[in-house]
Amino acid sequence: MRYVLSLLAALFMLAAPALAQDTAESDGPLRIEITEGVIEPLPYAVPSFVADTAAASEWADKISRVVASDLNGTGLFREIPAEAHIARISNFSSPVQFSDWKAINAQALITGAVRTEGSGRIVVSFRLYDVFAGQEMGQGLQLVGTEQGWRRIAHKVADQVYSRLTGEDPYFDSRVVFVSEDGPKDARQKRLAIMDYDGANVTYLTDNSSLVLAPRFSPQGDQVLYTSYESGFPRIYVLNVETVGRRVLESQDGTMSFAPRFAPDGQTVVYSLTRGGNTDLYSMQIGSSQSTRLTNAPSIETAPSFSPDGSRMVFESDRSGTPQLYIMPAGGGEAQRISFGQGRYGTPVWSPRGDLIAFTKQSKGRFHIGVMRTDGSEERLLTASFLDEGPTWAPNGRVIMFSRETQGAQGSTSLYSVDITGRNLKQVPTPSGASDPSWSPLQK
Amino acid sequence: MNTGQIISGAGHAGLIFWALFGGAFRDVPPPNEVTEVTAISADDFAALMAPEQSPEAVANVDTPEPPEAGEAPGMTSEADAVPETAQPEVTESSEPDTPPEVTEPDPPAQAEVSEEPPVMQPPQEDTAALVPDRSPDVRPREAPRVAPEPVAQPEPDVQIDDVDQQETAPDESAEPVEEDQEETARQEATTEIVTEADDPADAAPSRSLRPRPRPTRQAEAEPEPETQPQDDPQPAAQEPEQTETATQQSPEVDENAVENALAEALGGSDTQPDSTPSGPPLTTGEKEGLRVAVQQCWNVGSLSSEALATTVVVGVSMSEDGRPITASIKMLGSSGGSNSAAQQAFEAARRAIIRCGADGYKLPPEKYDQWRDIEMTFNPEKMRIK
Repeated sequence: MRYVLSLLAALFMLAAPALAQDTAESDGPLRIEITEGVIEPLPYAVPSFVADTAAASEWADKISRVVASDLNGTGLFREIPAEAHIARISNFSSPVQFSDWKAINAQALITGAVRTEGSGRIVVSFRLYDVFAGQEMGQGLQLVGTEQGWRRIAHKVADQVYSRLTGEDPYFDSRVVFVSEDGPKDARQKRLAIMDYDGANVTYLTDNSSLVLAPRFSPQGDQVLYTSYESGFPRIYVLNVETVGRRVLESQDGTMSFAPRFAPDGQTVVYSLTRGGNTDLYSMQIGSSQSTRLTNAPSIETAPSFSPDGSRMVFESDRSGTPQLYIMPAGGGEAQRISFGQGRYGTPVWSPRGDLIAFTKQSKGRFHIGVMRTDGSEERLLTASFLDEGPTWAPNGRVIMFSRETQGAQGSTSLYSVDITGRNLKQVPTPSGASDPSWSPLQK
Repeated sequence: MNTGQIISGAGHAGLIFWALFGGAFRDVPPPNEVTEVTAISADDFAALMAPEQSPEAVANVDTPEPPEAGEAPGMTSEADAVPETAQPEVTESSEPDTPPEVTEPDPPAQAEVSEEPPVMQPPQEDTAALVPDRSPDVRPREAPRVAPEPVAQPEPDVQIDDVDQQETAPDESAEPVEEDQEETARQEATTEIVTEADDPADAAPSRSLRPRPRPTRQAEAEPEPETQPQDDPQPAAQEPEQTETATQQSPEVDENAVENALAEALGGSDTQPDSTPSGPPLTTGEKEGLRVAVQQCWNVGSLSSEALATTVVVGVSMSEDGRPITASIKMLGSSGGSNSAAQQAFEAARRAIIRCGADGYKLPPEKYDQWRDIEMTFNPEKMRIK
């Protein structure tokens, strides 16, 4: 009898919490938890901006098309073509009939107006709406620029829309410096070029009289470091983007310097210097040209990249026998290895967010662009091809651009971009072959 | 010594005496059996052995039988006669006790046997002249048994059975016969589960034979006065008295409970707040259906990494047709991200609720009180980009 009573008591104690929970759940509103959703581009509509004047109609259409191109290029949005629109935006200030846009499943709506002023100025106004919520997202903005800079205005509009819809920092109004390549592989001519992030407005910074390598933007985006064989040996140069003026930064006799990169303060440069067959890392103050040795090992140390706060740097070293990634304090010191996977790791680049490190990996005869945490964990390979290398981060740390070379004597080199999720891999249009991209910070 | 032991001892003694002197252990040889033997001569022995050859002769007599069986494919009805004629001959010839018949030559019998085979040769061309009258493909269908007489081919829809039956159809003009139906009732249920722990220990009726009709109403009424604001102290002062009386378990209390229940049934809803859901709760399947419907529109593809690490709790009020009231959608809380990330996550959740609820969620109307207000927790942990 006592056993039966004990058993009943135990069962009651086990069942009581569940019954009490049910009783508690019956009180108040119904509660459900959503843990799985869908990942698909957000459908949106961007009718052609309203032109307040006849002269502005040309710019209105162009700007709205660039805005759509920017958003579509992210892979996060899907534009509903104008042919499917039910309503027409003829007045920028008129209320929006959300039902017309709901009917075509447009979840976001961008409206804008363009007018021209004297002296070649363009004024662009735009609004962003959450169609299903039936309300405007944020406040409308107005941008003013020149007719020559109409693309930048469009990028700014797209940046605002992108940030409001995704919560990410913008990156459309940025530029990329790269090495433009012409000719076959065995006689290839290279020169520095700069363009908008989407491949537009290409401008050449150097001629093709000497070999140039690995350009790197300064944190302010006004200068570019690069390596040139102009003197017959690799030397580091610094170039002003606006004036295209340049000067050599490191020119010690009997040495080779390469792989430069700016520190976040823009006043310090780290680079590799080969002396007596040994390659180590050095830092230099641009103003004083005073260099400091950061590593002292018989192995090859190269490709340094600062953390966003400038306290640490990641670099490539073969001190363990194969090229691997290491992290050490910015002023030098004990290095900690962070890559332990199979294969060779190189060209590490610290994310502007500070959470990830992008790298090139060679494994099993293929090259990959990958990312890993700063402690080496959660390594993910984003691409795979015959030759992928030289990653560079977008200003918001969401997109990576790199160069890809195809196989064979007639193989070409081009630029690609990929989302850090591994999706939306696409080629960046360039007028000719391109390699060694470096993404600028967001333009002011 | 009792009588039983005496009887047993006497019985055993008698048994031993009989065994010793009755010859039970003697080996007495059986008496010799005498058998008379008669000697016979070699001729007589040969005469005796001669009848054993008779089966061979009978076998010759049976030779016509296989041709008769061969005719069966041509005429099904005659096949039954074949075994009847053959069997008697076999049984007659199998009798070994007729030596005279065996020893005597029986030429006529053999002559009859020799005449029959020509008759039983259907393959011969002379007799095959009649074959073209019927199709060579005509042959009976395969069946487990042979019918005594040819039967007509049944209708296609007729099922084969041992007994012929005619098809029957319900007579629509006839009045339906209603079967006896026992009275049944659904199992008792309530709107919520009340355990013994929720009831006072002495809540069971001690004297009344009738159980309390609405014990849970009494239990729920207790804490309400404590949570009510002080604007109406008069009812709050009266409720404790009811509580005390409710725990006394007197018959008067039961009467009050019945009266309260009747008052509620007649429209007196003063004791029940409007915010408390009533009616049966949603089943797990109904909740799951709502969850699946919402998550089909929860698009996190355009969210930032930080927003994908933010869990938001969204409250929404529903109309009776299952549509969410857009103006009522609000963020009740968030965790895991900044305010801007929470705002992004909330907007994605709001779009999901509105989009997939545009035509109304499939929720049971009779349980509207249960889903009038819904709190949805959007947890993107599984969708997070690491």
